[in-house]
Amino acid sequence: MQDDLIRIEKMVKFYPVMRRGIFRSKQTGVIRAVDNVTFSIRRGETLGLVGESGCGKTTTARALLYLTAPTSGRAHFQGTDIIEVFERGAKEEILRIRRRLQYVFQDPYLSLNPRWSIAETVLEPFRVHRHLPENQWDDRLMELLELVGLEYYHAWRYPHEFSGGQRQRVGIARALAVEPRFLICDEPVSSLDVSVRAQILNLLIELQEKLGLTYLYISHDLSSVRFISDRVAVMYLGKIVEIAAVDELFARPLHHYTYALLTAIPIPEPDADRGHSVLKGEVPSAVNPPPGCRFHPRCEAALPQCREMPVELAPAGDEHLVACHNPR
Amino acid sequence: MGIVRFIIRRLIFMVVLVIGVSILIFFMINAIGNPIEILLAERPGISPEVIESVKQYYRLDRSLTEQYLSWLGNVLHLNFGNSIVYNQPVGSMLVTWGWETVKIQVLAILISLALAIFIGVTAATRQYSKIDFGVMSTALLGRSLPGFFLGILLILTFSYWLGIFPSYGAYSTRSPLMGSALLDSLWHMVLPVMMLTYFNTATLTLLIRSNMVDVLRMDFIMAARASGLSAGRVVYRHALKNAFIPALTYLAILFGLMLGTAPVTETVFTWPGLGFLYITAIQQLDYPVIMGENLIITLMLVIANLLTDIAYVFIDPRIRLE
Repeated sequence: MQDDLIRIEKMVKFYPVMRRGIFRSKQTGVIRAVDNVTFSIRRGETLGLVGESGCGKTTTARALLYLTAPTSGRAHFQGTDIIEVFERGAKEEILRIRRRLQYVFQDPYLSLNPRWSIAETVLEPFRVHRHLPENQWDDRLMELLELVGLEYYHAWRYPHEFSGGQRQRVGIARALAVEPRFLICDEPVSSLDVSVRAQILNLLIELQEKLGLTYLYISHDLSSVRFISDRVAVMYLGKIVEIAAVDELFARPLHHYTYALLTAIPIPEPDADRGHSVLKGEVPSAVNPPPGCRFHPRCEAALPQCREMPVELAPAGDEHLVACHNPR
Repeated sequence: MGIVRFIIRRLIFMVVLVIGVSILIFFMINAIGNPIEILLAERPGISPEVIESVKQYYRLDRSLTEQYLSWLGNVLHLNFGNSIVYNQPVGSMLVTWGWETVKIQVLAILISLALAIFIGVTAATRQYSKIDFGVMSTALLGRSLPGFFLGILLILTFSYWLGIFPSYGAYSTRSPLMGSALLDSLWHMVLPVMMLTYFNTATLTLLIRSNMVDVLRMDFIMAARASGLSAGRVVYRHALKNAFIPALTYLAILFGLMLGTAPVTETVFTWPGLGFLYITAIQQLDYPVIMGENLIITLMLVIANLLTDIAYVFIDPRIRLE
C-alpha cells in the first residue's frame, strides 16, 4: 500500500449486447467484461495477471490506459486520478500521463504498421510528444534499438522483413521511446515461437532492472507468469479471485480456481502426482454470470451460500487476498 | 533499377496487346458487313459502277489483310484515316470529341475521390451508426441503379421540373448562357458530372469504408493511440494509407474504363464525346473511327494499369516489382 505506483479502484467495463431489429436496435443485456476490479501495483514490481481467454485481462489493461473507456471506476498513477485526466484533462496533461504508461501488444504482426519502416514506427511517439529536440532523435533511435537488442541498420527495414521475436523487440522499443515508468505487457510472448519466448522474457527482466520499470504482465501461460512476476492476480469471468506473492500463490493456492489452473500446468514427468482437480464444464457466459460466487457451478467445494452470496476479496494471510467462501 | 526495367517490359507488352486487340476488332467489324453497302442500302438505284468506284476510293476493294496492314502503317505515322461518315480526319476528331469526354469524366473522378475519402472515413469511424447505415444504403443504391435511369431522373428533376440545368449538349447552340462561354460550358457539365460522380463515389466509398473498418481494428491503431496520437490523426496518418490500396485499383479502373462508361452517359445527355461518337460509329460501321477509338480505349486501360502498379510501390513498401 505504501508504495503503489498504480492503483485500480472498482474498475468496471460493461459492453452493451444489442439485438438488431429491422429499423432499430435494442439493448438486451450487458457483457460484464470487467466487474468491479480493484488492485494495486507496487513501484518496480511485476504483477502477473492470469486467467482464461475472455476473462477480462486485456479489457482491464486497456481500460486502465483509457484505450477503451471504462464504464466506471478510478485508476491512480502516483496519486493522480488518470481516468479523470483522460476524460476531462487538458491535452498536455493527457500526453504527460500517456508518456509514463505504455503498452506492449500481444501480436507483433498486428501491432506494427506494415507500411512504416521501423524508424518511423519507433519515432512516432517523438513526433507526438516532442520531448526531445529533433537533432537528437537519431541518437535516441540508435540507443533504443540497441537497448532491445536490434541493430541500427534495422531501422530502415519494414516489419515484414523481421521474425516475430524481432517485431516484438520493435514493439518494446516503441513503448520505451517516451521513457515510461509503467509498461503493460499484454501476452507479449504468447504469439511467438517457444524458442524465442525466453529471450523476450529475459529482455523484459533486463529492461526492468536497467530502467526501473514497473510491469503489469498479462498472460494465460502460468509458467511464464511464474518466471517473471513478483505477485500474481488471478482473474475469472471479470473478477479478481486471488492475489498473492508468486511463490505463495504457487505453493498455497487458496482459491479453487487457482488450484485448478495450477494443476493444469503440464509437468514434464509422466508419473508425477498432479492432483485430481480438473475444471469441469465451460466458462459461463459473461452476459448472465452466475449469481453469488461466479465460480460456484464449476467448483467442487461449493457451499450453499456460494450460490447466493457474492464474495469479495478478503485478506487470508500475509499479503494474500482471496475471494472465496470456502477457501482451500 | 528494377522499376525502369519493369516499365520497359510492360511497354513492350503494351504494344503487342494493342496490335492484338486492333487485329481482333478489325476482323470482327468486317464480319458484320461493308460500310458502303450499309450507307447505300437506303438509296436504291445507284449503279454498281459508282459503288465500285466509292469502294476503290476508300480502298475497300483490297483484301482484309492488306487493308489492316495499311491502317497499321498509317497509325505508325499518326494518321488514323478519315471518317467515312463525317469525312474528317479521325485523329483530330478523337482530340476534339475526346476533350469533351475527358472533361466530365476526370472532373467526376476527382470529385468522387474527395467525397469518397471523406464519407468513407466518416462512416468507418462510426461503424453501425445511423450515419454509417445511411451512407451504406445510399452507396448500395448507387451501385445497383442502372446508369441511364439516374440520368433520366436528373434531367426530369433539374431540367424539366426545376428548369435549372440544360438537359442535353455541351454548349448552347445559340447565345451562351449567362453571356460567358466558360460558364455556359460549366453549366452544361453539371448534370452529366453529377450522374458520373454518384456512381464513382458509391463504389469508392464502399471500398474505402470496408477497408478502413478492417484497418481500424488492427493493434497498431491502438498502439498509435496509446502513444498519445489524437483520434483524428490516427485515422489519417495510419489508417487511410493502409485502407487506400484497394481503392487505388478501382480508381485506375475508373480512369481506364472512362470510355467504357462514356457511351451511356453521353447518350443520355446527348454529349458530344467519344462515347457518343463510338456508338454512332458502330451503328454506321465507320471503320476508321471505331479502330481509332479502340486504340485509345486499349491504351488507356493498359496505361492506367501500369500507373497503378507503379503507384503501389510507393504506397506499399512490401511490394517489389519484378
